[in-house]
Amino acid sequence: MHNSRRKVIAGALMLALSFSAVSCSQDNGEAQDGAVYGGEAVVGITQEPMIFDPHTVEAAGDKEILFNVYEGLYKYDSTGTLNPCLATDVVISDDASEYTFTIREGVTFHDGSELDAGDVVYSLNRAAELIPELSFIEDVTDNGDNTVTVTLATPNSEMLSYFTAAIIPEDSGDTIGDTRIGTGPFVFTSYEAGIGIVLTRNENYWNPELPYLDKVTFKVCADMDSGFLELQSGAIDIFPYLTTDKSSQLDPAQFNVLELGSNMVQGLFLNNAVAPFDDVRVRQAMNYAIDREEIVNLIMDGAGLPLTTAMSPVMGEAYDTSLDGTYDQDIEQAQALLAEAGYADGFDMTITVPSNYLVHVNTAVALADQLSAVGINATIEQVDWATWLDRVYAGRDYESTVICLTSDYAPYDVINRYISTADNNFINYSNPNVDEIITNLPLTIDDGERISMYRELLGYMTEDAASVYIQDPYSICAVNNRLTGYELYPMYVQDMSTVRLATAE
Amino acid sequence: MRSSANSKRYLYIGSALLAIVAVFFIIGLIWTPYGINSTDSASKFIAPCAEHLFGTDNLGRDVFSRCLAAARYTLLVSFAGVAVALVIGTITGLLAGYYGGIIDKVIMVLSNSIMCFPGILLALVAVAIFGPSLYNVIWALGLVFAPTFARVYRSSTIELLGRDYILSAKVMKVNPVRIMFVHILPNLMPQILPAVIIGLANMTLFESGMSYLGLGVQPPAASYGKMLADAQSYMVTAPWLIFFPTLMLVCYILGLYFVSEWVRTSVNGGSK
Amino acid sequence: MGNEVRTVFSKICEFVLTALLVSFFTFAAFSIIPGDTARVMLGPDASEAQVQQLRTELGLDRPLAERYGTWLRDAFRGDLGNSLSFGTPVSELISSRLAVTLGMSFIALIIVILVSFPMAAFCSRNPGNITDKTLSTAGHILFAIPPFALSMMLILIFSKVFHIFTAGRYTAPGDNFGAYVVSLLLPSLCIALPKIAMTFKFLRASMIEYSHSDFVRTAKSHGLTDLRIMLRHIIPNSAVSSITVISLVLSDILGGSLIVEQVFNLPGLGRLLLAAISRRDFPLLSGIVLYLAIITVILYFLADIFAAVIDPRIRDRRAA
Repeated sequence: MHNSRRKVIAGALMLALSFSAVSCSQDNGEAQDGAVYGGEAVVGITQEPMIFDPHTVEAAGDKEILFNVYEGLYKYDSTGTLNPCLATDVVISDDASEYTFTIREGVTFHDGSELDAGDVVYSLNRAAELIPELSFIEDVTDNGDNTVTVTLATPNSEMLSYFTAAIIPEDSGDTIGDTRIGTGPFVFTSYEAGIGIVLTRNENYWNPELPYLDKVTFKVCADMDSGFLELQSGAIDIFPYLTTDKSSQLDPAQFNVLELGSNMVQGLFLNNAVAPFDDVRVRQAMNYAIDREEIVNLIMDGAGLPLTTAMSPVMGEAYDTSLDGTYDQDIEQAQALLAEAGYADGFDMTITVPSNYLVHVNTAVALADQLSAVGINATIEQVDWATWLDRVYAGRDYESTVICLTSDYAPYDVINRYISTADNNFINYSNPNVDEIITNLPLTIDDGERISMYRELLGYMTEDAASVYIQDPYSICAVNNRLTGYELYPMYVQDMSTVRLATAE
Repeated sequence: MRSSANSKRYLYIGSALLAIVAVFFIIGLIWTPYGINSTDSASKFIAPCAEHLFGTDNLGRDVFSRCLAAARYTLLVSFAGVAVALVIGTITGLLAGYYGGIIDKVIMVLSNSIMCFPGILLALVAVAIFGPSLYNVIWALGLVFAPTFARVYRSSTIELLGRDYILSAKVMKVNPVRIMFVHILPNLMPQILPAVIIGLANMTLFESGMSYLGLGVQPPAASYGKMLADAQSYMVTAPWLIFFPTLMLVCYILGLYFVSEWVRTSVNGGSK
Repeated sequence: MGNEVRTVFSKICEFVLTALLVSFFTFAAFSIIPGDTARVMLGPDASEAQVQQLRTELGLDRPLAERYGTWLRDAFRGDLGNSLSFGTPVSELISSRLAVTLGMSFIALIIVILVSFPMAAFCSRNPGNITDKTLSTAGHILFAIPPFALSMMLILIFSKVFHIFTAGRYTAPGDNFGAYVVSLLLPSLCIALPKIAMTFKFLRASMIEYSHSDFVRTAKSHGLTDLRIMLRHIIPNSAVSSITVISLVLSDILGGSLIVEQVFNLPGLGRLLLAAISRRDFPLLSGIVLYLAIITVILYFLADIFAAVIDPRIRDRRAA
């Protein structure tokens, strides 16, 4: 066993490229010594929370709240860096098949019991059963010296970001969805359907400096419009996922508006198994036909990063910047490709859009307008979200759709859906070279080698024009000036631990 | 004398209002100053001005052009929907009112059930079976509104049954279908017309409510109701997006309403 | 006496039939529309295995017909079961939302009656004068503005111009009853305004008709004051004939509250209904539909009884 102790920063593959928080004044005024403790904050959410078991939760709207309640061995911060949390350290074996964690001491759960290796072993075993990404765990051993060793069935160098999975009290799995006991900075106090969630300060949090607030309420709003009215009236203090046309209405004297690339991939996804999208020339032609910059300006008021391929440049080194501009608008090229494919006069197509996402509906309208320039006649068909999930996403019974793909902040999580056999490869993309690279990636230990593999893969996908990738929309959040310290994450997280009152009330 | 002058005025104002909608409808079929669906990021949210009479919307589309085009969808949805509801409602309402008894019971139970059934769910079913298209939703809308008409027809029919001419027709063994459609139906006009007008108004609104689940008119096309629903997000920054579709709807509904008022008063005036 | 018992009995039969039919329609609709609760709850990032596991946990692996049978059996015992997506009892969810919807409907109805009766009584005394014309025209225009647009305009005016209203600030009746009523006032007004126009128009016409009738003329000849005639004769008589209109208005009000709840962001039954549909939550939707059926049937039942008591033609037919 040649263990080499490595300081692991999952951000190794990432660059803080997009963290250009606009008009962000996170550290305005109040210095650390002047930090105010106490007070309350209300966060507006537009999706009803549903699942509180940290190992079965999938909806982004639930996860971002539970981030404050449950913690894993490692935890992301707002720059996308993985930091030790309930573990103080990790040692990864040279063949990437064993991860040994040192458990942090002096951590207590919300029910007062102390965190020990038994809780970690239990939680990781439970998570391995319930979370697909952790299913590679073969064995979890309590080494007795306050360390836990995780053995993987196959070597995997991409695992650490999944060890953010929550640690819960031993044997609490059956009741965790109701007791909601974690180690996080806030205690889950109550949930009322249709009203919201109340969190209160964890007095015994292992980091004594956090959190600042006594109480945080996540309030359910019917939709963004009504939530926005509440924000303006002061009923809500923090409102994430705003659109630019809303944020521009806010008075800068009363609100901070924060913007950040979100690591999401919005695109016009084409069912590669359906004619005419089974022809690579048609897919390329559609890529040439659209003007991404115009769409970003039209739909997002410029608050988005135009994309060329399946990965957002916010992923840092794994992204290949030489691909930029491959599909800049070129109507002649598009028409030539269409003619070559036998569609000189264009064709009719249907874009199926989930009606609850106004951004996607508007994007579809803009796309239909742009595609008409090369003779492609796109009809828009709105379906409700449940129908979309059933028919389009799971059933793959569609021609094209506009949607935003989300993933964990790990490049592997972005691309593993494009392996031809993946459950969630809903565009029916298939390229043997890509399959091979995706299969080999977790087996490769060397960071440099992995980076060149990611770039090669993106090269294939760009050439194949797997779909029409449009933009990585910025995530925009407004914070009432009575609060300070809120940080935007490039993922679905509402971290309330650093939020505090700007001045004592 | 006074009342006839009054009712003439109803006719004039009503026709004038409807004429505005009709002019929009006809022009919209032939010509619009800008492309109905041409988006442009450089001309978003322009307030009403000489170039854009009604301003532009969130995607830089000319609202005046869209108002011209929207007339056809509003008229189509409301008229076709009411027509379906009226046909179903007339037949069932007359049958229930005329025969009473078990037929009445069955029809009333059915119509009550439909009234309790969420219309949006019905529209979802229609879309699931036939695919999302405006015409399928019209069927669903018609069915949702049919019980209202059936109820009006039924109670008015019961009222008429006691009249002498109906009784004598019955005694003379006139075919019941003939009694219903020749003797009763024309006399129900005063009750039905207002119901139709209200139905037309409600239909346009219900259709705009359905856009919450993506049912009804599919984008980029829009009816006035849908334009209103879409404008909700921008009511503070771009109130003209609410104002002009509302104005068109008010012209349409108020026009219909005044004309029906004229019909009602002139029919009633004759009988009194 | 026997007749009345029979009427009530047949009404109850009718109601049970209606409820059964509506719930069957709901079941039929669910077997047709695509979508799956487990998938909606987990979202697109979940794996097939996770979806299947949640399906099993929720009992969705059983055929819909079987689940409907179980639901029906329990419903007959008064148990509406648990909502799939909220995980809480359906009856609890509904009763917490009824406070908004019924409260709003009730306030709206009161507003309609309080405004339209005096307005109609006032206008019917001098039909055609300037006040009558102004009020009638105002009524016509109010009727023609969609409640949707009306809500938006009122929100704009009251929260932007006067700063006295906050959309979405709702207080439960248990917490503070006064605040609860205040939070529902503006939305109720939005529902009520178009209905006022309708009720006013109807009442005004029937009051004018009654004020020309023989018994009013007789009363006048007996020297009764105008006010007394209005209160004693005209209003009660028009109230009776306007019950049908009011019951129609009421079902409109219930329907209108759905849209207004959306615009004002109030946690009412309409939003719960939309949530149940968009999450494909069968027990929840069936429960709501049943409640709506009960409310609607009761309304029509009351209207029918009133009408039967008052109108001899209908009463006679029932007896026959």
